Amino acid sequence: MTVFLRIATAVCLATSGYLHAQLYAHGYHTIPVIGPAFLVQAAASFAVALLLVLGGPWLLQLAAAGLAAGSLAGFVLSRTTGLFGFSETGFQPAPQALLSVLSEVAVLVFVGVILVRRNRQRRIATAV
Amino acid sequence: MTEDDHSPEGMTRRQLLRHTAWFGAAVVLTVAGGEVISRVAGPGEALADDDPNALRFVQVSDSHLGFKGSANTAVEASFSRALGQINALGRRPDFVMHTGDLTHLSTAAQFDQVRQMMSTLDTGYTFTVPGEHDSIDDAGQKYRKIFGAGTAGDGWYSFDVKGVHFIALVNTLNLEKLGHLGPDQLEFVRKDVAKLGSDTPIVVFSHIPLFAMYPAWGWGTDDAAQALSYLRRFSSVTCLNGHVHQLFTKTEGNITFHSATTTAYPLPQPGTRPAPTPVTLPAGKLADALGIREVTYRAGQPGLAVKDVKLA
Repeated sequence: MTVFLRIATAVCLATSGYLHAQLYAHGYHTIPVIGPAFLVQAAASFAVALLLVLGGPWLLQLAAAGLAAGSLAGFVLSRTTGLFGFSETGFQPAPQALLSVLSEVAVLVFVGVILVRRNRQRRIATAV
Repeated sequence: MTEDDHSPEGMTRRQLLRHTAWFGAAVVLTVAGGEVISRVAGPGEALADDDPNALRFVQVSDSHLGFKGSANTAVEASFSRALGQINALGRRPDFVMHTGDLTHLSTAAQFDQVRQMMSTLDTGYTFTVPGEHDSIDDAGQKYRKIFGAGTAGDGWYSFDVKGVHFIALVNTLNLEKLGHLGPDQLEFVRKDVAKLGSDTPIVVFSHIPLFAMYPAWGWGTDDAAQALSYLRRFSSVTCLNGHVHQLFTKTEGNITFHSATTTAYPLPQPGTRPAPTPVTLPAGKLADALGIREVTYRAGQPGLAVKDVKLA
């Protein structure tokens, strides 16, 4: 089960990275700060996703959650206060914005489930 | 102590080494992945600086020559620094575009001063579009007398450089609250782009934003949607504007909007003050809010590279 959750986390994180890389390649790389941020998000997401599949430690799961949470925070800021002078509305660009949000929420859910399961197993091991 | 990764007692030496190795692998893979993605996104883009065939132009905006106030007590000196910075660029730009509010009060002396100052630019051409400060009392007549040669209607025009089609619009006349293009200019845009292939990169200059940046302060153009509808079929459309005295970027489908900063004085961020009046910054901070914009384009790239540079 944990292996499945880990791989699911990796797939969703890689999906988010792919969508950011796609947007970066198709225009966003010209946007100051946002362009480089998309590049870093995509590259880090691919790296962490690969290492998760290879069986990386819990620190990488936290990194995956951090990347997903950071991307979601950027999404919210860009649709409210603006982010480094960059602003967008709703789920534009479609369909990347919606798919990316769904992927990142899924990463947070999967990592949450992994952490809950680990804590439960630890409590049981301590009790025994 | 056990090998448990999450041991409350802390990590063993072996665990620490393992974590360090994983972390190192993550960093190395991230750097390598970033390199691959950037190459896929823009092969050879890094070479654009050295490419003699690349298009290069500079946008300056809102010089407000003649402004007197605590927000900048020497706008002429600031504009002069901006022009010097352009002349000091490594490569001579193909042209320099001033996106309006050249003057503060549209006086003949101010127009003459800005014309003389811009004539010192080391560039192929200088272009302008008017701001509302350039047409205060005469609907832009003094502006067009000096800068309107070869333009159509109230001063709009288009031109081509190195495969990119440029459209310079006037949305500061017939102002009520928002910018306005009017039916004649909309028809000009429709006819102007009708003959172009959809893969032609388009750049549109205007003073007031063509997107709704903050309509409560008039930072938008009421009939821009009609003009932009003619540009939807193009793969790359970049709209560059001034007026708001601050950097702001927004994308809507195939169109990317870039608001430029000023060479004169900053305005508040949208909605942070009751009105868009000049902001006086602490001593020494003004230059950080002023700047110029370098834009490069290399044939085959998906879009233009926009680089905003603070006033040196």
